[in-house]
Amino acid sequence: MSEIKTQLVVLGAGPGGYSAAFRAADLGIDTIIIDARETLGGVCLNVGCIPSKALLHVAKVIQEAKHLSAHGVTFGEPTFDLDKIRGWKDSVVEQLTKGLSGMSKMRKVKHVQGYGKFTGPNTIEVEGKDGKTTITFDNAVIAAGSEPVSLPFVPKDERVMDSTGALEMRDIPGKMLVLGGGIIGLEMGTVYHALGSKIDVVEFLDQLMPAADKDIVKMYMKTIKNKFNTMLETKVTGIEAKDDGLYVTFEGKQAPAEPVRYDRVLVAVGRKPNGSLVAAEKAGVTVTDRGFIDVDKQMRTNVANIFAIGDLVGQPMLAHKAAHEGHVAAEVIAGKKHYFDPKCIPSVAYTEPEVAWVGVTEKEAIEQGLNYEVATFPWAASGRAIACAATDGLTKMIFEKDTGRVIGGAIVGTNAGEMLGEIGLAIEMGADAEDIALTIHAHPTLNESIGLAAELFEGSITDMPNPKAKKK
Amino acid sequence: MANLIDIIVPDVGGEEVEVIELCVAVGETVDAEASIVTVESDKASMDIPCTEPGIIKSLKVKVGDKIKQGDVLGQMESGAAAPEPEASAPAESPAQAPEANAPESDVAKAETSKSEAPAKSAPASSGVKTIEVTVPDIGDATEVDIIELLVAVGDTVEPEDGLITLETDKATMDVPAPEAGKVVSLAVKVGDKVSKGSLVLTLEVAGESSVESDSSLADTNAAESVIATPPSSTDSAPSAPASAPTPKAPPVPHHPSAGDKVNKGKVHASPSVRRLAREFGVDLTQVQGSGRKNRVQKDDVQSFVKYELSRPKMNPGSSAGSGNTGGGLQVLAQPKVDFAKFGEIEEVPLTRIQKLSGPNLHRNWVTIPHVTQFDEADITDLESFRKEQNAIAEKRKLGVKITPLVFMMKAVADALKEYPAFNSSLSESGESLIMKKYYHIGIAVDTPGGLMVPVVRDVDKKGIMEISRELMEISAKARDGKLKSADMQGSCFTISSLGGIGGTAFTPIVNAPDVAILGVSKSEMKPKWNGKDFDPRLMLPLSLSYDHRVIDGALAARFTVHVSGALSDLRRILL
Repeated sequence: MSEIKTQLVVLGAGPGGYSAAFRAADLGIDTIIIDARETLGGVCLNVGCIPSKALLHVAKVIQEAKHLSAHGVTFGEPTFDLDKIRGWKDSVVEQLTKGLSGMSKMRKVKHVQGYGKFTGPNTIEVEGKDGKTTITFDNAVIAAGSEPVSLPFVPKDERVMDSTGALEMRDIPGKMLVLGGGIIGLEMGTVYHALGSKIDVVEFLDQLMPAADKDIVKMYMKTIKNKFNTMLETKVTGIEAKDDGLYVTFEGKQAPAEPVRYDRVLVAVGRKPNGSLVAAEKAGVTVTDRGFIDVDKQMRTNVANIFAIGDLVGQPMLAHKAAHEGHVAAEVIAGKKHYFDPKCIPSVAYTEPEVAWVGVTEKEAIEQGLNYEVATFPWAASGRAIACAATDGLTKMIFEKDTGRVIGGAIVGTNAGEMLGEIGLAIEMGADAEDIALTIHAHPTLNESIGLAAELFEGSITDMPNPKAKKK
Repeated sequence: MANLIDIIVPDVGGEEVEVIELCVAVGETVDAEASIVTVESDKASMDIPCTEPGIIKSLKVKVGDKIKQGDVLGQMESGAAAPEPEASAPAESPAQAPEANAPESDVAKAETSKSEAPAKSAPASSGVKTIEVTVPDIGDATEVDIIELLVAVGDTVEPEDGLITLETDKATMDVPAPEAGKVVSLAVKVGDKVSKGSLVLTLEVAGESSVESDSSLADTNAAESVIATPPSSTDSAPSAPASAPTPKAPPVPHHPSAGDKVNKGKVHASPSVRRLAREFGVDLTQVQGSGRKNRVQKDDVQSFVKYELSRPKMNPGSSAGSGNTGGGLQVLAQPKVDFAKFGEIEEVPLTRIQKLSGPNLHRNWVTIPHVTQFDEADITDLESFRKEQNAIAEKRKLGVKITPLVFMMKAVADALKEYPAFNSSLSESGESLIMKKYYHIGIAVDTPGGLMVPVVRDVDKKGIMEISRELMEISAKARDGKLKSADMQGSCFTISSLGGIGGTAFTPIVNAPDVAILGVSKSEMKPKWNGKDFDPRLMLPLSLSYDHRVIDGALAARFTVHVSGALSDLRRILL
């Protein structure tokens, strides 16, 4: 058993953890990062955001090639070499994790592989394949992330997958059920659908992507109605594993009467925090019943020298939130008086088409009793969208009615996630509709739709009928 | 019925006062003692009440008018016309009738504060009963330590005798005996923690003793009536005892930024600006944004911090700056004190001059490192010369009386020439001195409204007679409140003379941007050793306060020596 002393231990090497560790190292703090994986990057890089995007890229090109036949270009039916597709995905992951490992060495951040558990407020024990390591630290950042929620009635069967399993791409199932209509399930559904699977989606609530606004999801539903069979307000009551498939019983509004046979079931009903897996209580850190760890705006837990960031401090469980929190934690440990103080955190579903939103949604505006006004620019009125056959989209902006200040925005459509940045920046900078309307957006772009939505609010729009024009 | 009477201004202190507020409108029904107008003299503001209930028929004055005793304010229809019930009168006339309302409530408070520890009595067999003495209301404090037992079992106590001593983190207090009696048993010991209602001891009192005074009988009755109601009655007793040494709530440190918000709504500030604000602990709602649409920019936060650091700290909203705050310094706020608890009080607003000069004095006192140099000047010869000259002046009917102050001014002007550092001001940046080539001297004048400092210009170029005449004029103007602000600007140095009143020395506050001030106290005959024997000499005490950033001690000593030399022999000024 070896012993190490360090100034800072970061428990978890996901985007939050490595951001905290690298930032701390750059601020002159002697840092060790603990992660069970051989590579850095956590779920996001290894089995999450990045590999799924590699596969979604493949799916998108397949789709577009298909659509092109309508414009006079016809390719032959695609053939899939699963090993190669998986290889492409793995190469993407490898390139990024290698990059991280290099940056880690450059910063002299030592990676101790294994599962870390606290043994006191200044000690942590790591159990790895090379034995036990005890690390004594001044400060710690808990960044142990989250894991998929598993359902009790789901049988142990290799045909039942979580998101990690789905990314392994062992085969292309003939018929797959996506259990849960959230972002992760829909993204994987998009991939498998493009590869030829027949996809059913079952969601307990009355809407896919429950956090997003109805009008946004409605537009998304319009585009997927021929791809996915969605069953809303329906739940799965049982899954029976038989030799010829998984027989799923449904209950609810759109439930089929008889159990339905699937080749695979993807369980994507959410993620649960790993707060209770690190023996935080041994360090005196309070962990809630659900496994979250409460922190203040400086990411500090109830124990002064221990910080927590990322999925296990609360929703939204998003890599970009974790990375920012990681920076704040590292900076606070380095003595800076910084706070995690964003006005908004963007959410993006990298489905086809993408669905993205930031700031307050309309339903939140109603809940909070805000005096707001919505301006929605339909992509059917966008030259660029028409030219790229991407008219199934809309750009929705939410403004404070009196001041015109941007408080939220949502986009459905191709590249929606890329476009969202402008709205996030506008919210953070306190921009108002006039600012955006007066910012010259390049023509023709999809991004232009944000400027045009602002013009709609301002009443200066000319690319559409202007409802605020003076009547003569 | 329609009995029209004039509303006459009562005695307002023998001077003209200014109407600053009309409290009623024509047609309004008023009660006796209701305020008609509020007036402000340079001493105080006061309400002028009407003498009887009625309806205001006309008002002859408006805000800004000057009125004096005997003037007619307006007319009212008096008598039965007033429909308002009398009962509402006190509530509507809170300010001007302190002798009617305040003392009553004071008395009430005094009574409650004197009331004794709650006692439950249990009638004993024959004429003797025992009562339980409990801890009275000790404010918010709970779990208070007992630090001393003042009685033992068997002791006889008189009413109000201390039984035990409690100590909170703020005060110690005794729990008094509610009535005379003998301690039967003690329920507590030193070190115990008690709260309101905790049993302290049991007292055996002579229930039927004929020597008991009426008041203690009343007490007993009260105690009995308490026991007559169900158990928790001590708490609900209407005269819930509030023992006199009740500690006040702990002083809450005042956060200076908790004042009026500049931005009532949402703040426009980008993430980098918000981070900067967080680093300095700036509440962005208090920062005026200079960007488009009031966006707060980095510069705004920086200048806000700069301003907050440099401005004289005072309670926002209280121009006197001496309110119950830490004055912006990192000190504990003054605890709030309910003075009325200790006796009769009256609240009088600060005069206008006090309100104006207070913050300046405070700033000068806090920001200028003061040192005061004391000295004495032998003015025996000067005084005999002065009296001679005054006698001559009177004979010639010049109408001028030379005061000692004039000579001091000449002596100071001479010393300023010799030691120009005293005739300087620190530049705004604090990096350089601004040397003045003129010799204007401010004279602190005690006026009815407060301290004023008119300035006599070019003292070095003027003769004794000329300065005397000017001084008489300017002092008269000051006392009449007719000084213009120009009369009070441009001083290089200030003299504050209390010689006419008394005192041996004092430490005046430098009148910034001056760098020094000379305080003069009352001259006194003192025995002075002339080498052979003691000579009676008239000695004038001088107190020179100076800004130590500009002047060092040796220079100050030289300055006072120079002034005192000039005063003891005026011929030196000519040299």
